[in-house]
Amino acid sequence: MILLAILLLLAAGVVAWASERFIGANAPRWVSLTAFAAGLAWAAFECWSGAADGLYAAQSFEWIPRFGINVILELDGLSLLLVALTMFLGIVAVVSSWDEMETGHGFFQFNILWVMAGVVGVFTAMDLFLFFFFWEVMLIPMYFLIAIWGHENKGYASMKFFLFTQISGLLMLLAILALVFFTQAATGEVTFGYAALKNAGASLPADVRTWLMLGFFVAFATKLPSVPFHTWLPDAHTQAPTAGSVILAGILLKTGAYGIIRFAVPLFPEASLDFAWWGMLLGAASILYGGVMAFSQSDFKRLVAYSSIAHMGFVLLGVYAFNEQGMQGAVMTMIAHGFSTAALFMMAGALQQRLHTREMSRMGGLWKHAPRMGVMTMFFVVASVGTPGLGNFVGEFLALLGAFKQNVWLAVAATVGIVVAAVYGLHLLQRSFQGEPNPQIEAMDDFGFREMSVMALMMLGLVWLGVYPQPVLEMSAATIAGLGVLP
Amino acid sequence: MEHLWLVPALPLLGFLVLFLTEGRLPDRVVAVVGAGSVGLAALVALFVGYQFTQSGVASHPQVLWTWMAVGSFAPTVTLHLDSLSLVMMGVVTGVGFLIHLYATGYMWKDHEEPRGYSRFFAYMNLFVFAMLMLVLGDNLLVLFLGWEGVGLCSYLLIGFYHRDGANGYAARKAFVVTRVGDTALALGLFLLFWEVGTLHIQDALDQAAALDKTTVTVICLLLLGGAVGKSAQVPLQTWLPDAMAGPTPVSALIHAATMVTAGVYLIARMQGLYLESADARHVVALVGLVTLLVSSFTALAQTDIKRILAYSTMSQIGYMFMALGVGAWSAAIFHLMTHAFFKALLFLAAGSVILAMHHEQDIFKMGGLRKKLPVPFWSMAIGSLGLMAFPFTSGFFSKDAILLTAWTEAGWLYWGGGVLAAGLTALYTVRMMVITFWGETKTEPHDASHGGFSRTNMWLPLVALCALSIGGGWFGIGVLDDTLGALIEVDSHFSPVALATMAMPILMIGLGWLIFTGRINVQGLVDSAVGRGLRRFFAGGWGFDWVYDRVFVGPFVWFAKANKGDFVDWTYRLTAGVVRATHYVAALTQSGRLRWYAANMAAGLVVLLLFVAGWL
Repeated sequence: MILLAILLLLAAGVVAWASERFIGANAPRWVSLTAFAAGLAWAAFECWSGAADGLYAAQSFEWIPRFGINVILELDGLSLLLVALTMFLGIVAVVSSWDEMETGHGFFQFNILWVMAGVVGVFTAMDLFLFFFFWEVMLIPMYFLIAIWGHENKGYASMKFFLFTQISGLLMLLAILALVFFTQAATGEVTFGYAALKNAGASLPADVRTWLMLGFFVAFATKLPSVPFHTWLPDAHTQAPTAGSVILAGILLKTGAYGIIRFAVPLFPEASLDFAWWGMLLGAASILYGGVMAFSQSDFKRLVAYSSIAHMGFVLLGVYAFNEQGMQGAVMTMIAHGFSTAALFMMAGALQQRLHTREMSRMGGLWKHAPRMGVMTMFFVVASVGTPGLGNFVGEFLALLGAFKQNVWLAVAATVGIVVAAVYGLHLLQRSFQGEPNPQIEAMDDFGFREMSVMALMMLGLVWLGVYPQPVLEMSAATIAGLGVLP
Repeated sequence: MEHLWLVPALPLLGFLVLFLTEGRLPDRVVAVVGAGSVGLAALVALFVGYQFTQSGVASHPQVLWTWMAVGSFAPTVTLHLDSLSLVMMGVVTGVGFLIHLYATGYMWKDHEEPRGYSRFFAYMNLFVFAMLMLVLGDNLLVLFLGWEGVGLCSYLLIGFYHRDGANGYAARKAFVVTRVGDTALALGLFLLFWEVGTLHIQDALDQAAALDKTTVTVICLLLLGGAVGKSAQVPLQTWLPDAMAGPTPVSALIHAATMVTAGVYLIARMQGLYLESADARHVVALVGLVTLLVSSFTALAQTDIKRILAYSTMSQIGYMFMALGVGAWSAAIFHLMTHAFFKALLFLAAGSVILAMHHEQDIFKMGGLRKKLPVPFWSMAIGSLGLMAFPFTSGFFSKDAILLTAWTEAGWLYWGGGVLAAGLTALYTVRMMVITFWGETKTEPHDASHGGFSRTNMWLPLVALCALSIGGGWFGIGVLDDTLGALIEVDSHFSPVALATMAMPILMIGLGWLIFTGRINVQGLVDSAVGRGLRRFFAGGWGFDWVYDRVFVGPFVWFAKANKGDFVDWTYRLTAGVVRATHYVAALTQSGRLRWYAANMAAGLVVLLLFVAGWL
């Protein structure tokens, strides 16, 4: 079923591209929407049908047996959560860019669908070669999304995105190959299988483990992104079309977080434990630096982009706290951030489409024209500053709680980040929607049914995560226990 | 008591109705939903409270669901009723309802946007819900939910008239400054959890005695940090005067009667912890004393009627902190309750004056309103008596209990500071009353009520609160004895100390009357260099804002502006620049000219030969 889902997205991409020519300019987005809806339904079905041995679905068959490369796809709790989020944000992405494009509808949807196919692969692959394959699959279409449909500085931004991801990906590839060779030297068997490599890691020399762990870590920390590898993100987010930003922030950043949780830490538990202080330091630094940078921006979208760096800092902080609270906090932050930031990027896109600017100095008092958009912005800002009762709070609180046990002072520094979050979050709301209405804006369309229905779903999602996160926590708890890294 | 959950649920329902209808309901329906939901909650609270007092149990928990369970961390959403939360619930729903009722009149046609009325009551109902979660939660995480929730609503309501940038600034200041305290509170929760393994309040308190003393003190001080932020105590008090930018019913409900007293509730609730740390209690008392004096002096120099009341609120909460610190636990909560009565009354009456003055808040532009606005005048007069602790008004009982306990438990310093501040309270209150209501009329009041509907709605709460301000002191005595300890343990109410405590406000009322009606001329003193300097110092709130702007806000904004381009990116841009430059140089060599290639080849050959020669 997992492979089928990936193939469905890939095939839908081709169909969407072709449908523009054969049916019409409207067809591609409907194809896309249907595909993601089907994907979400599949994820819901897997969730409903329950898990056996911690796995909701699993598939494996030989691919290149000579090198021990197999197609192994597994859907455990964490994967399922992220796959469901992927499908849902696919819908959000399509809806948020519904009539943003002038040309190239088919190819646009093709790229969206192929990115997401790559993402689903990344979240389910249990073979390192296959994982790397999907890692690359999601990169190229994303590059096209920015380079073709981006804004004024798209060439620079897309190239920067490509280079950062590609160079850090190269480090990961080297680390994967080295891990396989070292394992072969130790056991005499060539394999890229996750389970085999996870067990073999312990037999490696200590310094080798550290270097290989760093290879993985840098790749994932760049994707996450963490300070100081973050500078591709503000450019890429700002320049990307709305759907691109939604996918980037909502899902692509999570592949970095997922990579750390699934690979960097469990493959090298001892090395990671030695590295934990640095990981938490980078987390706390991202929270504070991302927050301060967000405050300094005057571009709506760039501000939200920097706030993502701050939020992802909680993921690093939580994971390297090496306890259950921290790890669960990281997972919860990933999911809640997927909703809250996707909504804010959607808002940025809607504003740009209406006002032809992202500069907040050219906004102000928009509440008067579009109270619904104002309320929505307020809600998601409130969510992203970590107000209890909404999903982000659960994630951040658990991450900080876990971090506090591991290292008090880094936790204190990170907790100060919630003050900074309040500063930039309210600043965003004030400069765009509140204050004296900007006289240059005479009217602005408010959100209609299409936008509101997506927004309402994301609101419900955040409330649910904030008030009764237990089902989600239970799904990821099994995965976290299975990683075997927590004391 | 199984209906307890309805008490917070009703205001939440009111919020949801107003939120989901997006302001499309007619204003009259909004008024019914907005005030009605809180009114019903108050009725249910009364009913539940009656059942509770009849049942004779000490506490009644109502488990709703498990919020999150991660490892050993498994807080539940549970409502907890004991006499402390009962008093708080009564104040929040009772006074809250009266203020909501008043607001249906006050806010009628008084908003800058078509859906403002509905938005206002949506926020107000959400606030009441959050406040109830704060006082009813039996787990510190649920308390924290309410804590942050009331902070959010406070932000939303201070900035309710959001078109004026100054209001937005005041709202953000309130949110950010209190969040500084919340950071401390959150850290306190983390530390407490890892020490005792739970955030359940009763379980945690039961283990408090077994903890290391230093740890207990640290936890207590961290919680105090949160309390200081929320309750506008020194050094995090700067947000409260600016918070007066909100509509006056908001000031009455949030910034006088309920939210700002949450810090007092928190410390009283964590009594078991504070009892283990004398150092922490000492700091609590000191914070209270300092705030009490700072804000009383500041209030003397204010000209804005709401800012006078704001500083007075700070000083009254200072009394409550001092009470907690010196061990007058019940008296602190008792004063919290009576303060809610008379301060809500003062704010609502001031609101009526402000409305009649076309939103003028400067008392020096009022004057002579005694006969022209009789209801607000008498309401303010009665509220003032309570505030000044005039004998046998509600405020007298509670303040007296605090000061006498301070004398017996903490000595002359705290008692003296408290009595001095009581004198100052009388002085600034008389000043406010005399300048507003006596003398010549400077602005002619107009009838601000919008017909009978809003008129009655605004008078009724004033009358009810007048009654509570005078008589509310009688039914607060003894309720909290079994939760927090006896209200007062003083042998004689007629000792010299007790008489001095009682006499101070009366003397100062007399003195104030003579000064501010001009019978004693102090103009020379006020206009001297020292007098002017002090007045400026007090008027500016002792320079706290000035210092914070320079130490925190300025550098932060400077760094943000200076680093807008992200200095980390320079590394990458530099790399890209070097690559580009190398590319340029390399491209130069491909000129297409044969002579240039030949010369390069020759030069290269020479270098190579020299190198080989040197190597050999």
